[in-house]
Amino acid sequence: MPPSVTPVKEESAAHWAGQMAAVAANRDVEAFMRVFAYFGPRVKRYLCGLRVSEPAADDLVQETMLRVWRHAAQFDPTRATLSTWLFRIARNLYIDSVRRQPHWIDTQDALERLDATGSELGQGEWLADGEVLERAIAALPAGQARMLRMAYFEAKSHTEIAHELDVPLGSVKSVLRRTILKLQVVLGDHK
Amino acid sequence: MTARHHPDVVTMLSYAAGALSPAFAAVMSAHLSRCAECRQQLARAEVIGGHLLSRQTGLPLAEDAAGKLRARLATEPDDVAPAPPAEPVRHDPHALPEALRPYFGASLADVRWRWIAPGIHHVRAAGVTEDHLMLLRVAPGRSLPMHTHGGRELTMILSGAYDDTLGHFAAGDVADLDGETEHQPVTTPGLPCICVAATDAPLRFSGWFARTIQPLVPL
Repeated sequence: MPPSVTPVKEESAAHWAGQMAAVAANRDVEAFMRVFAYFGPRVKRYLCGLRVSEPAADDLVQETMLRVWRHAAQFDPTRATLSTWLFRIARNLYIDSVRRQPHWIDTQDALERLDATGSELGQGEWLADGEVLERAIAALPAGQARMLRMAYFEAKSHTEIAHELDVPLGSVKSVLRRTILKLQVVLGDHK
Repeated sequence: MTARHHPDVVTMLSYAAGALSPAFAAVMSAHLSRCAECRQQLARAEVIGGHLLSRQTGLPLAEDAAGKLRARLATEPDDVAPAPPAEPVRHDPHALPEALRPYFGASLADVRWRWIAPGIHHVRAAGVTEDHLMLLRVAPGRSLPMHTHGGRELTMILSGAYDDTLGHFAAGDVADLDGETEHQPVTTPGLPCICVAATDAPLRFSGWFARTIQPLVPL
């Protein structure tokens, strides 16, 4: 049987884990700049969706990436994908600097430490296959997908979403609840 | 201590998305620090966030962004500080969850309670300008006035317990209520029930006694 070589897709979690390993072990600037080139613009899109001004978003992208550089050794690809890690860092910096909640980052770091040392939970279970999650999100009815994006990428309260889509608050909550439970089943099933 | 009542998954989604006010986020963080199950749920919500982030089209960065970043890498010190070790588990029964300390201090023993009604004391969080955050202490075996909340309320029990139509709430449990819920918690005999509550609107009491004290007590 000929060996089947599956090329590493540019956006696969394994690919980015490899780049990060190089950053952590060898302080590999070029690997880091590849991470930046791919994720920097995406982090900026995320921040601008949160109504951060463009110059401030550019600054926060720099801060996010510097944190990635400094803490590269703490990135553990068996516990999170790089995209999840970046989402968390960018969100934390946004909450800290734009929403001015000075205790947020310390609190998140403390929560993270709780599970860093031998938790009873199987960490690998969070590492859903990106494609499975992708399919599950793609299969969502348009309305559900829209609300999910509004909740994440505009950090809108449920009241704001209800107002904007002109639907009752109760149905925003029940649609979001159904959506998130559906996606969590996908994540949970993928141990 | 395993909590039996948890925040709604949609509240967790808001927390993961950074959409909660500091008051609500503080109660969520306090519960998360004591509930591995919810930490896992948070992690899943973050996986979804990370996935959505990576799958969108990026926005072009400022022209000099890459050069600026390279320049900053060059001046970064090489020694990366290791993560501080996990805090030892405290056995002080009065210790407040870390997320509440900026608002109420480190220990329940040092809280300066204010009397608001027979058997009921409270203290408001310092420096909260959006929504309300408070500690409540209710004497054992006492029935709170029937009340509804004009808006949302997120309450976590820190010690003691109470019962209402939704069930038995003990230390670590969270009641995640919307404006429609009318409830009359009755605290369990033995220990005072101490909880932390975030609300986005003042409480509305419906009993005559409560209505009488309401104007005096800006909850």
